[in-house]
Amino acid sequence: MSLRVLNPNAEVLNKSAALHMNINAAKGLHDVLKTNLGPKGTIKMLVGGAGDIKLTKDGNTLLKEMQIQNPTAIMIARTAVAQDDTSGDGTTSTVIFIGELMRQAERYIDEGMHPRVLVDGFEIAKRATLQFIETFKTQVVMGDEPDHEFLKMVARTALRTKLYEALADQLTEIVVNAVLCIRKPEEPIDLFMVEIMHMRHKFDVDTRLVEGLVLDHGSRHPDMKRRAENCYILTCNVSLEYEKSEINAGFFYSNAEQREAMVAAERRQVDERVKRIIELKNKVCAGNENNFVVINQKGIDPPSLDLLARAGPLVVVIVIMLVAIVYLILILEVDISNNLNQYLEIIALRRAKRRNMERLILACGGEAVNSVDDLTPDCLGWAGLVHEHVLGEEKYTFVENVKNPFSCTILIKGPNDHTIAQIKDAVRDGLRSVKNTIEDEALILGAGAFEIAARRHLVSEVKKTVQGRAQLGVEAFADALLVIPKTLAENSGLDTQDAIIALTGEHDNGNVVGLNLQTGEPIDPHMVGIYDNYTVKRQIINSGPVIASQLLLVDEVIRAGRNMRKPS
Amino acid sequence: MKEIVTIQVGGFANFIGSHFWNFQDDLLGLAEDSQADPVYRNQSLNMDVLYRAGETQQGASTYTPRLVSIDFQGSLGSLSSRGSLYNSAPSSDPLHISTWSGNVSRQVSEPHKKNLFLQSLYEEELEKPTSSVDGPHKFKDEDLVECLQSGVQFWTDFSKVHFHLQSLYEVSGLYVDPEDFNNYGIGKSVFSGGLHGEEITERLRFFVEECDCIQGIQFIVDDSGGFTGVASDFLENIADEYSNTPVLLYSARSPGSCTRPINRNDSILRSLHDAISFSKFSSYCNLIVPIGSPSISKSKATTTLNINDENLFHCSGVYAAALHSTTLPLRMEPPGPAVESQYVTGALDFNRFVTMLACQGRQNIVATLDVAMPAPPLTGNLDQHSFLERLYSLTPELNEDAEDSQAVESMTVHGALHAGGNRASILEVKDSISSAYKSATTRPLFSHLSAALCPLPIPLPFPSMFRNHVSQSGLLLDKPISRSQSRSSLDVHSIPMAARLRSSNAVLPYIEKRLGNLRKLGIQRGSPGTGLLRSWGLEKEEVEDMGEVLSKMVQALNPRPEESSDSD
Ligand SMILES: Nc1ncnc2c1ncn2[C@@H]1O[C@H](COP(=O)(O)OP(=O)(O)O)[C@@H](O)[C@H]1O
Ligand SMILES: [Mg+2]
Repeated sequence: MSLRVLNPNAEVLNKSAALHMNINAAKGLHDVLKTNLGPKGTIKMLVGGAGDIKLTKDGNTLLKEMQIQNPTAIMIARTAVAQDDTSGDGTTSTVIFIGELMRQAERYIDEGMHPRVLVDGFEIAKRATLQFIETFKTQVVMGDEPDHEFLKMVARTALRTKLYEALADQLTEIVVNAVLCIRKPEEPIDLFMVEIMHMRHKFDVDTRLVEGLVLDHGSRHPDMKRRAENCYILTCNVSLEYEKSEINAGFFYSNAEQREAMVAAERRQVDERVKRIIELKNKVCAGNENNFVVINQKGIDPPSLDLLARAGPLVVVIVIMLVAIVYLILILEVDISNNLNQYLEIIALRRAKRRNMERLILACGGEAVNSVDDLTPDCLGWAGLVHEHVLGEEKYTFVENVKNPFSCTILIKGPNDHTIAQIKDAVRDGLRSVKNTIEDEALILGAGAFEIAARRHLVSEVKKTVQGRAQLGVEAFADALLVIPKTLAENSGLDTQDAIIALTGEHDNGNVVGLNLQTGEPIDPHMVGIYDNYTVKRQIINSGPVIASQLLLVDEVIRAGRNMRKPS
Repeated sequence: MKEIVTIQVGGFANFIGSHFWNFQDDLLGLAEDSQADPVYRNQSLNMDVLYRAGETQQGASTYTPRLVSIDFQGSLGSLSSRGSLYNSAPSSDPLHISTWSGNVSRQVSEPHKKNLFLQSLYEEELEKPTSSVDGPHKFKDEDLVECLQSGVQFWTDFSKVHFHLQSLYEVSGLYVDPEDFNNYGIGKSVFSGGLHGEEITERLRFFVEECDCIQGIQFIVDDSGGFTGVASDFLENIADEYSNTPVLLYSARSPGSCTRPINRNDSILRSLHDAISFSKFSSYCNLIVPIGSPSISKSKATTTLNINDENLFHCSGVYAAALHSTTLPLRMEPPGPAVESQYVTGALDFNRFVTMLACQGRQNIVATLDVAMPAPPLTGNLDQHSFLERLYSLTPELNEDAEDSQAVESMTVHGALHAGGNRASILEVKDSISSAYKSATTRPLFSHLSAALCPLPIPLPFPSMFRNHVSQSGLLLDKPISRSQSRSSLDVHSIPMAARLRSSNAVLPYIEKRLGNLRKLGIQRGSPGTGLLRSWGLEKEEVEDMGEVLSKMVQALNPRPEESSDSD
């Protein structure tokens, strides 16, 4: 990607030059990212040298795709990406806030102010703002029954900054329900228990929530059923493939017979394990029409698959034959072989993802089995429907209609990889926003309302408590906060000055409002449901001045790492 | 079926891999070519071991390597990371954005131009359906060879293989220049950070799930830089997830990366990089083969090859050829019940292959790689045992004169020729190799011989580096054939090969050097590298354990009380 930011070959620089280089780098990154911000921002399509396409509306993804070489820019980018890793959102805001802090600082420094004084002011302002958040935040009580409406508002706000409205709204329900599905009272929310699965589909852009699991593989035996109802699910981590016990044993056969004998013995061991599974199946499926599905983390080789697909104890075969014959006599059209099959076969999937072992248990119940010695009916989970879906060489197995799932799958269909990737990013954002809300039990009014309010607080309350020139640092910080509403306005084609004046006017009258990006008028964000995450906002306020201060207090040596070692 | 999955991590590993797959591609093509030498039609090599059959969503069938390749973003040149087969349906316009209704900005990088060779491949593909008449060729083979000789920048520049869309993984978001990604520590957090590890292991699982009974994983890593950090995390994950699957690791270093350290810190960094990487690798694989002598251009190789050390394209070709030969036994059709095959002998199972070398003599998992490229003729004016002496080592830091009565070897000879130029039968190969061993001064404890009739075909995009006394069929003549210094793939069509993996005490200096450095720089009191190691996440205790393991490895090879272990 050709988004190089500034001079990559920094050498030893004097203090002031270094400082200005930092300021410029921060502003440069700010300029690249600012058009991303908000629901009216610009989506970026990056086409690589080989024609590969990346699509992103997300600061985080964009930063990862950029080949940034300037060390200052890298530092900012790392902070912003870390912001996303911990709280799941706010990358763009972080980058533009840092950029704006630096731009404000530049004004004062050019007038001869010492960076140290500014940094002190930043620190005071930061602490005051973090305190202010506590009074400003909207409490959301999350008892046993979390407030659906609030969760939907925050998810919708996040999703609409990444996807067009109709699509975002469809996903809002999905992500909220997904998080509520996996949520267990008194336990932290593990978003990994929401599987995000995708399918490439020519024209379809569609996403749905599967209560249960979608696996990206199918059974590997031609005779196994592709669809089964009322299934016992055995989740296991047992090798059902010919074992190489030889490995590292330092043991060598002295002759061919000995080797043969060993091989046969090892094969028998594997068969024995398979038989134990079949025994369990026969036990639980006797006298009913239920099915049996094995999902294994280890391998299952063809002989084992054969056994699972075909074998059934003779008694059962005979019983079934009798039943079938009776049936046949009664109703002549019955197809014996079909019926027979149903009573015999086990559906088996191998090499399931490690994480799916956990998810399966949460979705279907039962427990994961590590050895066939532990097999009991209690280990088994349950799914009302297991079926396979084939797309070219790709196979998917749906494990659905489960009781009381604590794991689920968001299935994304899209026409190509870059579309899918972008929706996936958005879904992750949405999920994080819901999780954060449940954990924070708080939200922050969005659309610039918080930033305007915080600035007002800093200027009218905090500034006067500060001695001397550090006041100017507080003021610079306060003004820098405005970059969020300003950029939102700018990206919507609104006049930024008018917008800010209108907003501050309302705030002065005691109305906490944000910006309506359609009209440029002030609105009550709560009325239209625009909320941001509390943690995310805190982090932006926290990390912005930390990085800016580091960049301002630069000593004279800043070196780009890349020139330090070149073979001469 | 006994499948092998190949993993390539890092620049040089991918260069080697590129040649390796080109050889396979040639073998596949020649097997179907009615005009080719009949020796290719009955190779008795099972290509399904390395390749998988699949299908695109459009229903076209594909045959692609079971491969996971990892490298920097941008290292694929003009090749898309999705490969060249599985393109999205042409009906959907890739520039159409179905997820966003707002503004779009496109950043289109300058397209990487396909070189002449790649263009010719592309056009060949387009013509294929109507190739009944041989129209006038737009591309002259000489020009194609010429364009590669000095113009290769990426490994994809000379690759003629189609890859599966899951095969090529680019690591993005590193924010370092390739030349600064030069040590274990830098790569250390890449695998675990972000979603890289998750995505990479998923891709491996995709290929393993398809295997009915995977016999092993061959893993090539570029051990000169940060990719050792990536690879060791990946290897650890594999050892954990596929505990019964043997892993054969080629730890490869390009001659070009063996520059002199620029100062003391750099030298400490490099020594510790080598020690830690090796120690990590050896704890997660079953056999490790270090390859990459600092200058092959000064080795015995020069009697037959004209190699430019600086040129990755050149030297990787030699390593790839050696890898191809050593792993041939793993995909030879196993012998029928009674009759000896006239095409191959000495088939081995991956596990047996690895265990034989690592455990049959003493416990030593570090093997060395020797090659003769092309192999000398079996008979003729050269006296018998010189066949063995013609092999030269591709493993660095060896004690070449070590005599070891406990050595274990696996030798592969294929496509061997008589001095007259006619092909030697399998039986003749067996006889002459065993008599070569008999008359050798030191004999190994145990030696396994595999032989195949089929030589190594030289694909068109192979570098022009044969000396001018190598004939079209790879025979070493007494007199030069032509004036020109180097003969290309147009002059030399195939060559006989001999390659050997050897487990012996010759490798002692390699291990001792790493142990010595680890002790001197990382373990001893006041050693200068402890801070560095800590920054790589290695605490004192762990480093001491590593030292312990290395010291055991040394002791296994050198039962004398170690007094000279501090080399350097
Ligand atoms: N409908 C809306 N109207 C006005 N502002 C909005 C709206 N939706 C989101 N925002 C604001 O957009 C900002 C987030 O934009 P986003 O593109 O997600 O950037 P970031 O990467 O920083 O999260 C927040 O300040 C949020 O309050
Ligand atoms: Mg956001």
